[in-house]
Amino acid sequence: MALLTPFSKVPELNTATVLLVENEEELQSKLANALVQYKKDFNVNVRLARKLPLPVENKETRPRIDLIVFVVNLLSERSLQSVESSLAHLHSDCFLGKVCFLVTDARCGSHTQERLVSVRKLAASHQSPVLCAEHRTVDGVNAAAVRLLNILKVSAGMSPIATTALYLSSLTRCSVTSDLEED
Amino acid sequence: MDAQVRSVLRRVIRRIPNKNIENLLKKWNCLSTDQLCALDYTRPKWMIVELVASFCEDNSLNLKQITNLEMMYHIENPDQGVWHACQLTEAQDDAVCVDLTQFKEQFKAHLHGVVRHISIKMKKHEDEAIWIRIAWGDNFSKPNHLKPTYVVHHLHTSYVFISNLMAKHKIFLCQALVMATKHGSIKDGHLSTRSLTGMRELLLRRYQQVFPNAHSSILQERNTLPSHPCIGKEHSGHEDMRHQMSCEAFGHGPTPKLETAVYRLETRYRGNDNQTLSDREEFFRGVVRFSSSSLLDSLRHCVASGMAEGPVTPLLSAITQRGRNYFVITDKGPSVSSQASAQRA
Repeated sequence: MALLTPFSKVPELNTATVLLVENEEELQSKLANALVQYKKDFNVNVRLARKLPLPVENKETRPRIDLIVFVVNLLSERSLQSVESSLAHLHSDCFLGKVCFLVTDARCGSHTQERLVSVRKLAASHQSPVLCAEHRTVDGVNAAAVRLLNILKVSAGMSPIATTALYLSSLTRCSVTSDLEED
Repeated sequence: MDAQVRSVLRRVIRRIPNKNIENLLKKWNCLSTDQLCALDYTRPKWMIVELVASFCEDNSLNLKQITNLEMMYHIENPDQGVWHACQLTEAQDDAVCVDLTQFKEQFKAHLHGVVRHISIKMKKHEDEAIWIRIAWGDNFSKPNHLKPTYVVHHLHTSYVFISNLMAKHKIFLCQALVMATKHGSIKDGHLSTRSLTGMRELLLRRYQQVFPNAHSSILQERNTLPSHPCIGKEHSGHEDMRHQMSCEAFGHGPTPKLETAVYRLETRYRGNDNQTLSDREEFFRGVVRFSSSSLLDSLRHCVASGMAEGPVTPLLSAITQRGRNYFVITDKGPSVSSQASAQRA
């Protein structure tokens, strides 16, 4: 089974690539537009996928992926299940700072709270951060894009020397506190 | 004008919404220009109804002209009430030779022969549709103009669209249609919607159909939004394939407007987890009902966005392929793993 590995390709000059994985395929296009249009000093390529594994045909043309973002819509059970099954297709090296979870609709309803807890536990077990985003307004999408760009910059190795992806992930990784565990 | 005519007139005017009434009255051409100018359409509805009723009294209009107004309104706004489709079968050899006058004569003659008091009005619309308005009476009472039946038929097609028909009159209407169009029988089309235009588009295939072919030319026609060169899609091949499948099943472009699809299940329960319901001999009867403001658009989006797994199940694609939205699903054969098939009720 071909796993997605982080270091198998050569990086391009001043370019970072982010892979957005979302089952519903609605937030990812808005996020992608926000990411490429935001004013920044390096190039960003965005790849959109529904789930992993990625199609083999694209393997040659695909650039090196610096950050993999799993977008989970907390209103849908299927979203979380799809992410869980996609995680199996990642090489374990990816979890050293190159994976991030983005959840939406975290404030709507009661089922979302339980799913949020599951996402946080999942992220904690994989040492990755969880971001909450508000996707229904333009401002919300832009804010999520800015946060992703900050993480992307570090994952692609473009930030000052002391900050590496591994270091950042140890700071931002999701932690499951004991009161959550009791729930 | 007697009381019955007055009540029919009032009802007709009351039912026409204010935005249509001005144009309709002008087209009707039964009120003089002075009277038309005297009408103020910003007034409350009851005032307009009273004014028009008094003008009609002054002009001593008869029932025929009033029913003409109602018919004109229905022809221009066909998407109200509930329409049902019926299909004529067993066409005789000279069915294609039936022309309009012949159809009219035969139809009227038959109905006048079997029902003592009946009022039939026929109009041919420019798009080859024959509109028929029937007010039914019986042996003792005059035709009831407050609840007319409307029938629309396109000559030389096998479909008839009927609205507001009571069960006791159904047999007379069916006989008349069968005789006038020189067919052998008529059967229920299992299609009912509120929108006559949608029904006609679906059955007469007036929407943009897509046929499966090797080249999938629809992919080039599709106007994909010009996306940024830095954004790449991993699954674009799958996406195109799903789009193609959805358009093959439900058509491309604007789809006929259906509101519901009903599936009556007469199958045995087949879940694994419920002890009381499985392994029973009798059927687990249930009804599955899909509702939407535009059902075919919703189903197409479900398939194209991947919410429903492809290929499209024949239960759903039968809505467009067979042109019906009421299905009875029965088990075929005794084995548990057999496919449930959609059968004509």
